[in-house]
Amino acid sequence: MSAFETIIYEKQSHKGYITLNRPRVLNVYNVRMRDELYEILSAVKDDPEVRVVILKGAGEKAFCAGADLKEFLTAPPPVQARRIRFQRDVWSLFLSLEKPVIADIHGYCLGSGIEMAMCCDLRLASADAQFGVPEMGLGIIPAAGGSQTIPRIIGRGHALEMLFSGRYVNAPEALKMKLVNRVVSRAELLPAVETLADKIAGYKPEAVRSAKQAVTRGLELPLAQGLALEARLGYSLRCNSTPVYKVAEQAGV
Amino acid sequence: MAYSTITLQIQDRIARITLNRPQSGNIINLSMAQELIDACTLIKQADDVHVVILTGNGKDFCLGNDSQQPLKKKKPSPTEVFPVAEAVAALEIPVICAVNGDALGQGLELALACDIRIAADTAKFGFTDISLGFIPTDGGTQRLPRLIGQAAALEMLFSGETIDAQRACEIGLISAVAAKEALLPRVDAMAKSMAQKAPVACRYIKEAVLQGLDLSLAQGLRLEADLYFLLHTTADRTEGIKAFQQKRHPEFKGK
Repeated sequence: MSAFETIIYEKQSHKGYITLNRPRVLNVYNVRMRDELYEILSAVKDDPEVRVVILKGAGEKAFCAGADLKEFLTAPPPVQARRIRFQRDVWSLFLSLEKPVIADIHGYCLGSGIEMAMCCDLRLASADAQFGVPEMGLGIIPAAGGSQTIPRIIGRGHALEMLFSGRYVNAPEALKMKLVNRVVSRAELLPAVETLADKIAGYKPEAVRSAKQAVTRGLELPLAQGLALEARLGYSLRCNSTPVYKVAEQAGV
Repeated sequence: MAYSTITLQIQDRIARITLNRPQSGNIINLSMAQELIDACTLIKQADDVHVVILTGNGKDFCLGNDSQQPLKKKKPSPTEVFPVAEAVAALEIPVICAVNGDALGQGLELALACDIRIAADTAKFGFTDISLGFIPTDGGTQRLPRLIGQAAALEMLFSGETIDAQRACEIGLISAVAAKEALLPRVDAMAKSMAQKAPVACRYIKEAVLQGLDLSLAQGLRLEADLYFLLHTTADRTEGIKAFQQKRHPEFKGK
């Protein structure tokens, strides 16, 4: 694996940690980070040792404060940029991971940062986290899926308010509007994320994948088709041998 | 059909189904599944039933099915799970779940198939299937995210942890929490009030909302308009307007 410049990747007891690592500029997202995320997500996707992915930001101040505006003025012509966008579609890659992805969010979580967090399955935030979608103020709209993921998670009214106003939402408000699953103190954040990740990593990976698939694909379907999807996934899990029961048997319980 | 695992009482337009295996946490076995399906069929055919209450006898609402019991020795077979949620979900009239105690696994799926959930403050909720290497298969992975959103649903499904009634209320899994002894009176009052409304209109509201959620907004609005104008043909609508003008309580006939 090539040496990364903008991210850190670590693997430890079934957990894959991706850390956005440009702390001096609040971990803003640039072309290099896109390429490195693309590379690591492709690897993580196929690595059976990784059962849960954790995404976090380096430094004290931010998870990710958005896109690197310095690069905006040196961006390639739109036709070329659009082609690259879909050739290295890091956002769809994020959403296509079959394993759970947990965002560990502290400090600023803005623009591309909040969009990246929305590509995760679960979001845990520290009490100092601030969320915002400031694109309107720059004359653009979110382009990393935010206009689709945010309303699907917090509903149309809250999403449009965040998009139109560009205002920052603090952690308690984010919890209330279901932008995040939980809020804890800064010191407790990573331990809470890891406790949850370890718990999930301890379960049968096929069952965890099936649960994610049933929910995420099922929400795109009419209820009746979603129920059929669940039945198929559940049935195939039940038909396969279950190590959990073997362990219970061997333990004589 | 004489029931042994549930009870069914019908009185004043309200049907009350009570899961009745209190010694075993109201766990769903084959008999209970069959009896629940039978009771739902019977209610569906009874025009004089306008509201259903589903609750459990004893300290639990329902702890799931046999295969969801941890530490069970033998590997469950795929045929050991008996779907029941669909029978409850197929009821066209309002169904209120009085969650008198813990609702786990298939028990929670049963509660999710109801329209409204009010719970005792002692109740706990969770899908523990994942710890046994399974996923819920009676609608849980579909109805839970539709009710509380994808992220909160995934947290419950991935973690396998239970949540208490207070938290369940915060995330919208249940509508309200009541002290244990106040639960049934509260649900009864709610059912009584709904049972006095025009029954065809109640059925159409349920149809518009549940079907509409599966449609595009334009199609949903069309469905709503069609049902609304169909209601204009009912005698109940005429009675409702007359009663309002004459300042008296309407006498709805369901016609």
